[in-house]
Amino acid sequence: MGKGKTVVSASFLRKTYQTRDIKVEVLKDVNLKIEKGEFTVICGASGSGKTTLLNIIGGIDKPTSGEIIVFGEELSLKDEDFLSDYRCNNVGFVFQAYNLVSTLTVAENVAFPMEWSRKAADKIRKRVEELMETVGLEHRADHFPFQLSGGEQQRVAFARALANDPPLLLVDEPTGNLDTKTSLKVIQILQKLKHDGKTVIVATHDERILALAEQKLLLEDGRLVSLE
Amino acid sequence: MSVTSFPVNDLLRRKLQTTLTILGLTLCVASTVFLLLFGDRVGVGISLMVEGRMTAGFSSIFSPFIIFLAFLIFIVGVVIISFMVFVMMSQRMKDIGLMKAAGCPNNLVFGYFMTELLIVTFAGCFLGAIFGIAADIASISLFQSTGFQISQKPPNLWIALMVFVLFFILALASGTKPVLDAAKIEPAKAFSPTHHLGLAKEPGFRVVSKSGLTFRIAMRNLSRRASVTIRIVACLSIVFLLVTVAVAGGIIADQTTRSWVEKALGKDIVLIAHRDICSRYRLLQSKFYEAKESPQFNYTGERYLVPDEILRQLGRMPELSIDTRLFVETQIEEIPGFIFGQESGTTTYVGDHRKGFSLVVGVEPGKVFGQWFMEGEFLKEDDDFDAVIGDTEAQKMFAAPLYQNVSLFGKAYRITGVCLDPVNNGNVTYVPLKNLQQVSGVTRPNVVMVRVESSADRTHVLEQVSAIVTATNAEFGTFEVNEALNKDLGFLGYIWSAIMFLPLFSLAAASLCLIGYVMLTITEQRQEFGILRAVGAKPRTVVEIVSEQSFMVLLSSCAAGVVFGIIITLLILIPEPVITEYTVFEIAGWLAIALAATFTLSLYPALGFARKPVLDMMVQA
Repeated sequence: MGKGKTVVSASFLRKTYQTRDIKVEVLKDVNLKIEKGEFTVICGASGSGKTTLLNIIGGIDKPTSGEIIVFGEELSLKDEDFLSDYRCNNVGFVFQAYNLVSTLTVAENVAFPMEWSRKAADKIRKRVEELMETVGLEHRADHFPFQLSGGEQQRVAFARALANDPPLLLVDEPTGNLDTKTSLKVIQILQKLKHDGKTVIVATHDERILALAEQKLLLEDGRLVSLE
Repeated sequence: MSVTSFPVNDLLRRKLQTTLTILGLTLCVASTVFLLLFGDRVGVGISLMVEGRMTAGFSSIFSPFIIFLAFLIFIVGVVIISFMVFVMMSQRMKDIGLMKAAGCPNNLVFGYFMTELLIVTFAGCFLGAIFGIAADIASISLFQSTGFQISQKPPNLWIALMVFVLFFILALASGTKPVLDAAKIEPAKAFSPTHHLGLAKEPGFRVVSKSGLTFRIAMRNLSRRASVTIRIVACLSIVFLLVTVAVAGGIIADQTTRSWVEKALGKDIVLIAHRDICSRYRLLQSKFYEAKESPQFNYTGERYLVPDEILRQLGRMPELSIDTRLFVETQIEEIPGFIFGQESGTTTYVGDHRKGFSLVVGVEPGKVFGQWFMEGEFLKEDDDFDAVIGDTEAQKMFAAPLYQNVSLFGKAYRITGVCLDPVNNGNVTYVPLKNLQQVSGVTRPNVVMVRVESSADRTHVLEQVSAIVTATNAEFGTFEVNEALNKDLGFLGYIWSAIMFLPLFSLAAASLCLIGYVMLTITEQRQEFGILRAVGAKPRTVVEIVSEQSFMVLLSSCAAGVVFGIIITLLILIPEPVITEYTVFEIAGWLAIALAATFTLSLYPALGFARKPVLDMMVQA
């Protein structure tokens, strides 16, 4: 994977969903640059295309046209095997709906991205313990996701995203489904990530997270504009 | 929302599931209808065919086989249908819970889903019956075009109707239970993951276990849908039981019965007799595979007796072993006997005075080539007025032959054994040659069997034998017994291959059933597979998880089915089986092919699914 100061670069990115009669343009000529270690917040109304943009940066979705370069690689030209490795080792994704694997325990959910990157068993065990402690869920390690509250599931999702210590973290509406008290815990985690110098992109409406941002962007009607 | 519009819309909304269930039911009903119709021509036909031709001993092995296979085929059909309908209705459990939670009355919920069940089961069973009849008609045309003789009678529509009604009722009964169960549970439970996914068990905490991640996910998925897993394992176990009984049993029975025929007739034997007797011997042999009436024949006419000169000259050839026989066709009579009960101390009178014609063969016990599969003992050299009778004769004329005597030429012979013998289709009586000569007054044999020593040049020796025979008496000739033996063995081979062909259709239905199970697995885990992919799993990881689940299900079903199949075959269906190393490899090979074929087919949905974009996977079906 190539390295440069710019971690994410998008040029004239478009994403269109076409159903039988309706054509929906979610992203229109989006241009974006995110530097290494930058904490970026993308705001926008519900349905403005924030999640779609994160999905494209995360290699989960492909643009209809335009260029998306992350760590020097043009993602829209890559095959599924490359993108799987990219998602596993370079990106940590925290989904809005948490998306934990229901058949795996909390600890296993955190461990499995490391198992795919073929880390040694004792290193995985140590890292899982460390992450459980970071998100304050040591006592929940052997529970299944459905036995956790929304906030706890969100924290597990953070732990999983950080498992392989990825250089880029994508976080989608981390506090959208949480109460004030639980949101604070999540914000603390984000603060720690910023402090650690991670490149973080957060899609949110939350003013408290917006306050952490070094780059503030607004997605409006499919177009990305700077808030500064 | 009317009672009819919701079910139709719901079925159309789940196009894939609906199609798969109807297709599964159709294939299952069609294969059962076809099997019964085809069996009416070939399978049961074999039984009837065997009845008139094969010896009673051989028939007694074939009949249980066919009946047991027919029974298993029917059970497989029933189990597969129950499974598919159960799966279909189980998938609606969550919806039923949601409707109840929204205030839909119980009777309306029940009505909606029962209507769906009725539509699907009727469509599946009806189409199955139609396709089954069509397949039967197509098979007749196919066999006709390849020159294979098969009964041309029109299909028995009553069989199709019977299968349709029976399977329709069974399918309804199997599908009603999950709907009733869902109607009874509280709405919260119906869509709670604990109930819906069966995630009630608390596993031990192991961040990294020795087993791989994909295997762990596969095993948990199997255990969380325990009731479906148990059903599919039970269903496939019965299919593998059927396949094992048909394939392993077929191979073992084929080898065993072939070995009996080979040993009874003897291999590489040449018969020397008057040309009429040679033809007659060919006819006697053919009764094993062709139901033929044979006119009376006087074997003891002077011209049929082997000239002393031939016996003398053959006796001088060291490369030959000689077995001289005297064939006589005469009336025999059953003589009643007594069975003494050692524990009860009572004596039971058995038998009657039944009479019939038998081919009586006088043999020299120490020199006879045949080694029959028998109950009791064969004649010994010093035996006097003892007899061994063929299996058909024993069944038709004697009550407890080993406790009885047989009378021929007014003299009683003690029966020492009953042998399986294809000659004259088992209507045969072996007695010591000297006794037969004494009572019949015929002093010379009319048949000489010779076998060339393995060290000698067989062709050369036989040329010499032929020359001696024709030079001495031009009316005499030789007959290779192998010719008759090969026809007998060919007939046995044909019967067993027809039997082994029958479970193929059940295996095909079972494969579809497994595909249905895999599709259900994928549908239920769709979102999770999407998550795994989103977090870095490669497409092959999804295939690995599904294939491991499928393999575990298949392996456990196969193990159970094969073990029970072998036990049933060896302990119940085939007495004294002949099993060689080659037999074991052959059986293992066929079963491995069946396992591999089913496994490969089951992966088809997983291969298609794994190629889907990550976002499509993450959208819950």
